[in-house]
Amino acid sequence: MSWNVDFSKFLVFDGAMGTMLQAYGMKAGELSERYNIEKPEVIEKIHKAYIDAGADVITTNTFGANRYKLNDKGLPLEDVIGRAVEIARKAAKDKLVALDIGPLGQLMEPYGSLSFEAAYEAFKEQITVGASAGADLIIIETMSDIYEVRAAILAARENSSLPIICTMTFQEDGRTLTGTDPLTMVNILQNLGIAALGINCSLGPKEMMPLVYEVLKYSRIPVIVQPNAGLPKMVGNETVFEINPEKFAAYGRQMAESGVRLLGGCCGTTPEHIKALKSALAGLKPAKNEIKRITAASSSTCTVVLGGEVKIIGERINPTGKKRLKQALIEGDMDYILREAVDQKDNGAHMLDVNVGLPEIDEKAVMVKVVKEIQGIVNLPLQIDSVRPEVIEAGVRVCNGRPIINSVNGEDKAMESILPIVKKYGCLMVALTLDEKGIPETAEDRLKIAEKIIKKASEYGIPKEDIIVDCLVLTASAQQREVKETIKAVRLVKEKLGVMTTLGVSNVSFGLPARGILNRTFLAAALSAGLDAPIMNPMEADMRDTVRAFNVLWNHDRDSKDYINAYTDIKTKPQSNVNRSSKDLKKIIIDGMKEEVKEVVKELLKEFRGLEIVDNYLIPALDTVGEKYEKGEIFLPQLILSAETVKNAFEDIKEDMMETLLKIKL
Amino acid sequence: MNIDRMEVLRYLGYKNQSIDEAMENLIYECIAEIRKVMKKSFVYNIYDIEKQGDKVILKDTNLIFQSRYLRDHLQNSDRCALMAATLGIEVDKRIGYYSRLNLTKGIVMDACATAAIEAVCDEVQEEIKEMAQKAGYNITDRYSPGYRDLSITHQKAIIEVLKAHIRIGHTVNKNYIMIPRKSVTALIGLHRGKENVVEDKCSRCKEKNCMYRKCGDANELEC
Repeated sequence: MSWNVDFSKFLVFDGAMGTMLQAYGMKAGELSERYNIEKPEVIEKIHKAYIDAGADVITTNTFGANRYKLNDKGLPLEDVIGRAVEIARKAAKDKLVALDIGPLGQLMEPYGSLSFEAAYEAFKEQITVGASAGADLIIIETMSDIYEVRAAILAARENSSLPIICTMTFQEDGRTLTGTDPLTMVNILQNLGIAALGINCSLGPKEMMPLVYEVLKYSRIPVIVQPNAGLPKMVGNETVFEINPEKFAAYGRQMAESGVRLLGGCCGTTPEHIKALKSALAGLKPAKNEIKRITAASSSTCTVVLGGEVKIIGERINPTGKKRLKQALIEGDMDYILREAVDQKDNGAHMLDVNVGLPEIDEKAVMVKVVKEIQGIVNLPLQIDSVRPEVIEAGVRVCNGRPIINSVNGEDKAMESILPIVKKYGCLMVALTLDEKGIPETAEDRLKIAEKIIKKASEYGIPKEDIIVDCLVLTASAQQREVKETIKAVRLVKEKLGVMTTLGVSNVSFGLPARGILNRTFLAAALSAGLDAPIMNPMEADMRDTVRAFNVLWNHDRDSKDYINAYTDIKTKPQSNVNRSSKDLKKIIIDGMKEEVKEVVKELLKEFRGLEIVDNYLIPALDTVGEKYEKGEIFLPQLILSAETVKNAFEDIKEDMMETLLKIKL
Repeated sequence: MNIDRMEVLRYLGYKNQSIDEAMENLIYECIAEIRKVMKKSFVYNIYDIEKQGDKVILKDTNLIFQSRYLRDHLQNSDRCALMAATLGIEVDKRIGYYSRLNLTKGIVMDACATAAIEAVCDEVQEEIKEMAQKAGYNITDRYSPGYRDLSITHQKAIIEVLKAHIRIGHTVNKNYIMIPRKSVTALIGLHRGKENVVEDKCSRCKEKNCMYRKCGDANELEC
C-alpha cells in the first residue's frame, strides 16, 4: 500500500497528553479537549515539548472528541477537532500529526446501547473533520472492544485515505476488557487494510512484554507499542507511575529489538520518557520477522486456526429442508435460531455457517439481525453463507470478528462480485470448484478451477491461506460414479495447492436410507484425503464420533485426551424417580420439572388432542402456580420455572397441532 | 470473595418458602458460575471536600454534588473516597445468555451477581477503611447516586473523574444506566470521629415495604 508515511523505519510517538495537562492544572474529570478552544497555547506547548524530545509523530488532543462525550459540554465537534489538528500541525512542522480517535465511552450492543451503525456514524464525523483539517494519519487507540475498532476502521477507510494505526488495551489476564486475546486482535485487524496495530495503556512495559511477543508472532504488519509508565500507584492523594525514563527506554529498546516498529508512551509518560526512548533507539535497525501465514477465523473472543485437528463447521442454520427453521426465520423467532447455534456449539462445532436464504423474507435484513443475535450469545466464528453478494456484504460488515464467506466459485462474474468483499472486510472465503459449465466430472478439472480462483484472488491481494477450497460432494444416489472423484480432488488440491479444504459432507447420502452410515463413512474417507473443516451437523453422534476417532488416529488429539474425555466417562443416565406416564402433568408443572415434561406431554398426546391438554392441564396448573405465588408459598425462581415448564410443554403441543393442520390440508 | 446464599435468596424475594433439591443445586451452580465468569475490578481515589449549603464539592475535580442527604451523610467528613466497581461485561453476557435460553437460571444468576457486586463493594470499602485508619480517619457507609436526593446523573461525572471506562470498562449509557449492569459508583466519607458504618444496610432506608428488606437482625429472613 502506498502512504505518505514510511512505516519501514522506526517511528517514535509522543507520550501522555492527560498527564501533562494535569501538571498544567487540569482537574480530574475535566474534558481535556476544552483546552483546544480555551487554552490552545498549553496544548501547543505540550506538543512542542514532545517534538523537542525527538518524537516523529505527535497525537492531536482529540481522544474524547466524539459526539457522545461532547454532547452535553457545549463544544462543537468541528471546532474541537479542527483546532486540535491546527495546533498540532503548527507545533509539528515537518513531523507527522496523528488524528487521535479514542473509544466512544459507550458499550456496544447487545449489552450496551451503542449499535454498530451508530458507532460508525460517530467515528465518521470525527474522521471527516480531522482528515480535512490536515492530519497525516489516524490513530485509533486505547480500545477494549474489537467491534468498536472495526466500526472505527471502516469509518476511517471509507471516509479518508490516510494510513490507520490501531491499538487495543489489555488487562493483566492477557485479554481486553471485552475478552479479546492478542491472536484474535491480530487476526481480525491485520486483514482490514490498516498500516500498523498494537497495544497501549493499562499496563506498564514489563507487564506488556508477553503480550507484545504474542502480537509479534502473528502480525504481518508493523507493530506499535505505547505502554504506561508502569502501573499507577496511589501515594497519598496522588496517582504516580513507577517507571522512570531510563527504565522505560530500556524496555522500548528491548521491544524494538524483538520487532516492534512504532513506539511511544501512554499514561504517566512525559517528554523525558520520549527523549530517553528516542536515544535508546539510536543506531538500531528495525528487526524483520518472518511471519508464517495461518488460516484462521475469529469471533471477538476466540480464534479457530485451520489445519491439524479437524475443525467442524456447524451446518444447521440453513433453512434448506428444515421446516421449523423456515418458520422461525419467517416469524423472526430468534430464540429458536439461537437454540440451534447454542446446541451446535455444545456439541463440538468450532464455527457456525449462517444461511437465511428464503424467498419469503428480506434476506439482507434478516442476515444482519441473525448475525448480531448469534454473536451476542455464542462466541464461535461465523461463516456467512448466501448466493447474493449484497447479503454477504451486509453480513460480514456487522460481523464481530473475522468471518468466512461462503462462497465464491470459478465463474468470472461470481469472482468479480465476491472477491472485493473478501478483501475489503479481510475475510476468509470458501472457493467452490465449479464454474459456468457446472461441476467438472474429474478431480483434475476441479483442481484447475481451484487454481483459477486462487490466481484471481491473488490479483485482489487475497493470499491462498485465506482460501478454503470446497471440491463439492455429489450424491451417491444420483451420481455414484463421481462420489470418489471428490475424495480424489481433495487429495489433489491438498497436494498441489497446499490450501485448506472443506466439504458439505451430508450431501452424499441424499435419497438413500440410513444416511448416517454413508455420511460417516464418506467423512472418514474425506478426512484421510485431507479434509480440514467439514461442514456438517455436529448433533449427529456418528459424525462427531468419526471426527474424534480421526483426531486420535492422525495424532492430532495428543494422548487421546479429548477422546478419553468423551468416552470413558459416558454418564449413566440419571435415574428418574418419577414414573413418568403416571405422574400428573399438573404436578410436573407446579414442581417445575421442565425436562421431564416433554415426555409426559408426548404420552398424553397419544390420547388427547392438544387443546384438551391445554385446557385440562396447563391452564389449571398455571392458575395454581399463580395462586401459590400470590400467597407467598413459592418465590420468584419457582414461579418462572413453572412458566418455563409450560412453555416446553406447549412446544410439543404446538408441533402436534401443526402436523394435524397439515394433515387436514392434505 | 464469598457470595452468600442468604443474600442471593434475599434478592430473589425469598420469604422462607421450601426449596427443593433441584432449586438448591441451581443456586449453588449459579454462585459457582458467577464466581468463575466475573472479573471484579474497581478504582477509587481520595479527595478533600468542601461543603457549601447543600453542595458537596470534591477538590481537584470538576465534581459538585447537589444533595442535602449526601451533605448530611458527609456531615463530619473533610475528605471522601470516590469509588467505582464492576463485575465486568462477561457477567452481563452470561445473564443475557441464560435469560434467552433458561430464564429460571437467568434470574438466579442475576441475583448471584447482585450479591457478588455488593460483596466486591464491601471489600473495597474495607480496603479504604484500612487506608483511612492508618491516616487517623474513620469511614462512613457507602453512598451512591440514586439514594434519596442524589441524582443518578452524577454517575457519568464520577466515571469520568475516575477514568473508569478506560481502566475497568465501567460506563453509563445516555439514560444513566450503568454498563456492565453489575456495577456500583459510591462515595465514602472520611472523618475523625468514631466509625459509623451501619451493619444492616436496610435499617437506614426509608423504603419500609421493599421486597428485599431484611427483617429484624442480620440473617433473619423470617417475615
